[in-house]
Formats: sequence, structure tokens, C-alpha cells
Amino acid sequence: MPLINNPEETALIKSANKILQENIREWGMYIALLVIIIIFTITTKGVFLSSRNISNLINQTGYIAVLAIGMTLVIIISHIDLSVGYLSGFLGAVAATAMEFWHWSAPLSIALIFALGILAGFLTGFLVGQMKIPAFVATLAGWLGYRGALQLVTMHRGTIVITNNFFNAIGNGYIPDLSFIPDVGFLRGIHKLTFLLGILVIIFYILSEINRRNRMLYHNFKVSPIHLFIVKLVLMSALIGVITWILSGYRGLSWTAVTVIVVVLFYHFIMNRTNLGRHIYAVGGNPEAAQLTGISVKRITYTVFCSMGILAALSGILYASRFKSATTTAGTLFELDAVAAAFVGGASPSGGIGKISGSIVGAFVMMSLTSGMNLMGIDISYQYVVRALVLVAAVVFDVATRNKKEEIT
Amino acid sequence: MIDRVPVVKMCNIKKNFGGVQALKGVDLVLHHNEILGLVGDNAAGKSTLMKILSGAYIPDEGEIFIEGKKINMASSRDAHHYGIEMLYQDLALANNLDVVANVFMGREKMNFKIGDIGILDEHYMERETERLLDRLKIDLASVRLKVESLSGGQRQAIAIARATAFNARVTIMDEPTAALSVAAIKKVLDLVKELKKQGNSIIIISHRIEDIYQVSDRMIVLRQGRKVCDTRVTGDIDTFREHVVAYIIGARDDYA
Ligand SMILES: Nc1ncnc2c1ncn2[C@@H]1O[C@H](COP(=O)(O)OP(=O)(O)OP(=O)(O)O)[C@@H](O)[C@H]1O
Ligand SMILES: [Mg+2]
Repeated sequence: MPLINNPEETALIKSANKILQENIREWGMYIALLVIIIIFTITTKGVFLSSRNISNLINQTGYIAVLAIGMTLVIIISHIDLSVGYLSGFLGAVAATAMEFWHWSAPLSIALIFALGILAGFLTGFLVGQMKIPAFVATLAGWLGYRGALQLVTMHRGTIVITNNFFNAIGNGYIPDLSFIPDVGFLRGIHKLTFLLGILVIIFYILSEINRRNRMLYHNFKVSPIHLFIVKLVLMSALIGVITWILSGYRGLSWTAVTVIVVVLFYHFIMNRTNLGRHIYAVGGNPEAAQLTGISVKRITYTVFCSMGILAALSGILYASRFKSATTTAGTLFELDAVAAAFVGGASPSGGIGKISGSIVGAFVMMSLTSGMNLMGIDISYQYVVRALVLVAAVVFDVATRNKKEEIT
Repeated sequence: MIDRVPVVKMCNIKKNFGGVQALKGVDLVLHHNEILGLVGDNAAGKSTLMKILSGAYIPDEGEIFIEGKKINMASSRDAHHYGIEMLYQDLALANNLDVVANVFMGREKMNFKIGDIGILDEHYMERETERLLDRLKIDLASVRLKVESLSGGQRQAIAIARATAFNARVTIMDEPTAALSVAAIKKVLDLVKELKKQGNSIIIISHRIEDIYQVSDRMIVLRQGRKVCDTRVTGDIDTFREHVVAYIIGARDDYA
């Protein structure tokens, strides 16, 4: 072997190390999730992993997960949006008001709050992108304003009970089953459509991973050794399989889960396969360069905040329909869970970096903590402290792994 | 050549940054298929003048003509539209993206479009990037490496590849040889000559007068926001350098 002294080779080694580091970062969050699940499964004597609890956990994560996706984009362009928690609560209350007091249909009410969500995003985009007000300040104003608006809407009754069945099914319903498959053998009492979908997802996952590996090989990237790759495939497939089995044993896939999956796939596609996603990353990485190459930073800022507004509306729908009501406290601290989910999921506080898949795992980490600690009956004050520690740990871990990368460079 | 309408004509360009008068009324003419060298001391206003031509800055005063037609240059997009490409002094790369993404930043090739949004044609962009880097004889392990992992010279090559990727009419290069080794400088200067052969018109900024001397047909000196010299590149290198340096440092100031 010749000594490594030409720049290209050094660069290759550097990048190989970098990939390793990035993988450590990514594996870190899966390991964290696994540790959390194991700890709670032991401390709750298995209740945490019960079909019922996992199903609830997924529905609970839904309204945070969609916010986390929007927040990831906001963080990628080096901003933050603190207003989305109360915006989500406020929009949920508007939907409730429209259905209960104005007797609007559910689809019309939903359309209304999506429009309001876009409007809210446009407003933030204007303050941040046009007026150049720091996002932290602009959205803190939003936090106050939407909180006030939420209280105004719910003032008269405190809680608006939602009686619309269609609307309530979004947060509580499950997908129908395939009735033509006989209820025999191991399929007894199993939700077959969910089971089938799970198997399809595993096949799709394995194929796309193989495809990705081949592409990396084609581009002379260092990939993990084949046996490690197979271990990863088996572990991940087993994980999806277990979740599928758990869900099929209860009531199957919920509409909330379906909604989240659609949103995840859509955003994953936008961020990785379209010029819009590329421009969002470019603006996050170097806004001046993006502007010089003809990307309108202003337009990207508007787009990202409007997407955040739409997802806040969606989060409001999922939350209100899950609890079949709009309350004065709806949305409280959602923004912090969403920010934490994005950071746990590997988004960088300095912008330019973040993945949709990571933020979803991050959302599950945050909600597993809440759910597990609730099951254990831990006092809410301690819960806040634990969540704070996890957030700090995620960012410290991120900074530490990144610094290590720089040492190598 | 001279009797044709120049490809670029800038008249009485003025630009202030707060209290700083970066340009105090500069004229510049670039003829078809000409290589124009632009030199001057630090802060003379070279980058500012070129950023005005590339749409990055809006001038406070002055006019720009492309092929004799007065135009309003309001953004980089406008400049791209008129076939003007610029390599920026600070390279303007996004470290979080890979080489391909940087070369095509803002002008991604797409397979399928709805309005402004489309699906990236990664395959085409990859091959094209490889071709552009080949032309510069730059060897990268992969065009999918993130730019942050590259060396200064490699990054410079990426920026040059981008400035020459879109078959521009006018290519502006702000310090294209700044971070390069002697061998790499030769490659860049060869590329500049090659671009000229292909019919391109080029403006090149450099502090290395010998670079300008090697490739340029004509040269302009800026000093404190004014044009102080506009001359053909002739004579032997030593006399030429002496002549130019006198204008750069202000020892001579006799421009009409
Ligand atoms: N964006 C800006 N904001 C404020 N001042 C600026 C800006 N750009 C340039 N200037 C000022 O304008 C003057 C000319 O700068 P310019 O970058 O054009 O010089 P230059 O000739 O390119 O110098 P160098 O050889 O160091 O690159 C300098 O005094 C600089 O400080
Ligand atoms: Mg300069």
C-alpha cells in the first residue's frame, strides 16, 4: 500500500471517516429510542410494549411528528418557529367552532384552517424573510398572539366538544380490514390489511437500501462491510415486523398513522428528489451563495414558513379530533417537542442539515418518553426535567460528533 | 473586431456602501471574444464592479449595455438570462451539499416539471459535472462528495466548473487562481484560452499580473473606485508589469 499523500486519496479517507461519523450520529438516535423502549418495557412490566399502548403512542406522536417535519425545514434554513404550538391549538379551536357553532361540514372547516395556517405562515415569512426580523423574535410574538387568540375562541365555554364523527375519526379511527381473507391460522384476530402493508413496507425498505448501497458503491463511497449491512437490514426489518405485528394485534393502522406516513413520504420526496428541496438545503448551507446562483432566499423563506403553517393546521386537526374537543390549553409546548424532535433527529442548530426520517424518529423518542413516564406515574415536574436533559443530550451529542469530524479534517 | 458593437458596455457606474464610495463612475468595455484583465489594489472596487455586471449588486448610477442594448440588471437571474456567468472571489459554495448540487445550484436539470418545481435529473447532472471537472483535469474521488470535505484548490475548481457550465456569452472570473498550485494555475489559464477559442468573452481579475499578461488581450486598472488605465497587453512581461504597477499604486495617474 502506498502512503496516503495525494490530496484526492486523503479527501476520500476524510469522507469515509465523515460517513462513519454521520452514521454514528444516525445510529445514536436509534439506539436512544431502543434504550428508552427497553427501559420502559421493564419498568412498566411490559405494558409499554402492549398493542394498545403502542397504538396510542403512535396516535399521540402524530400531532408532534407533523410539526417536527415542518420544524425540520425551518431549522434547515437556520430559523426557528416558536409560534406553532399555540397556532395548532388555535386552529383546532377554529375548526371546532366552525363545525359546532357555524354548522360547517368537516371538510370545509378543515379547508378553512389550512387556509388560515398558510396565512399565518405567510405572516411569519413576511416578518422573517421580508422585514429581516430574527425568527426567534417574530415567532415569539406569534406564540403570544396565537395563545391569546386561542383563549378568545374558547373563552365562552372553556372547552368546545366536537360532535362531528367524520372529524373525530381522523384522530381515533382505524383503517378498514380486508374481509375476504379468512380468519384462520396465525391470522386469527389479526388486522390483515395492516399485516399486509407491513410486509410490503419491509420489502420496499430492503429494496431501497440495496439500491442506495449500490449507488454509493458506484460513486466510490466507502460503505459498511456487507455483513454489517445485512445485520442492519435484518434488525430494521425485524423492527418494522414487530411494530406491524403489535399493531395488527390491536385495531390495525390508525388514520393518524396513515396521515403521518403520507406527510413523511411527501416531504421526504420534496427534500431529496426535487429542486425545491435542493434549494432549501442550499439556503440553509449558504444563503449568500444561494442568492448569487439565482435562488430567491425570500421565496424559500416564505415557502418553508407556509409549509410550517399548513402542518400546524394538520397538527391542530389531529389533536382536536383525538380528544374530540378544543381546549384552552391545546398546543401548549408542542413547539418545544417539535424542536426537540428535530434536534434529536439530527438537525443542526447551525442550519443546512436535517432529515425528515430523523425528525420522525426524534418525535418518537420525545413521545415515548412522555408516554412511558405517564405509564410509570412520574410527576409532571420531573417529566419536564427529563425531557430537557434529553434535548440537551441530543445537541451535545450532535456538537461532539461534529467536532470530532473537524478534528479529522 | 473593434468596429463591432461591444458585448458589454458599462457607463459611469457608481456604487456607495454607506459612507464608502466603492465606485466613483467607472466605464468598461468588453469586446466580442476578448479576454480582459482587471487589476487593482485591495478595495479598488474590482469585485464590486463585476458583481454589478453579474446582477449581485444594483448600481446607484450608471448604465449597462449588452450587445448595444441597454438593460436593467436586477438579479443574478437576469445576468444568467443575458449569458453572464461569474466565479465569485469567495467561491459561493454551499458546504452542506455535494459537488453536483453545487455546480448546478439554482439551475438544476429536471426531468419533469410542474410550474417551477420539478424532479431532479441526477443522472444527467452527475455526468455533466464529471465532464466539466475532466476538462479542468480535476480528479475527485466522487462528484457526490460534500464540498466541506474538499481542499481549497478542489473547491476553487468546483466554482470554476460552475462558472463555465452553462455556455455563457460572458464569463467573469474573480481571482480564479487564488488558492491554486502552479500546476493548477496553468490548467485554469489553459481553460481560459480554450473558452476564448470557443467564442466566449472573458473578464479575469487577478493580483498576479503574469496571469493577466499570459492570457489577456487588454487590461484595465482600477484605483480607489476609478479607472486609471486601459491598455492593450503588449511588450515583454517586465516592462508591462512595471507599467501596470505604477498605475496600481498611484505613481502614475494620467488617464484621460
Ligand atoms: N457588501 C459590501 N458592503 C459594504 N462595503 C462593501 C461591500 N462590498 C464591497 N465593499 C467596499 O467597497 C470597496 C471595494 O471593495 P471590492 O471588494 O470591490 O474590492 P476589490 O478590488 O475586489 O478588492 P480585493 O482585491 O481585496 O478583492 C471596499 O472598500 C469594500 O470595503
Ligand atoms: Mg475582490
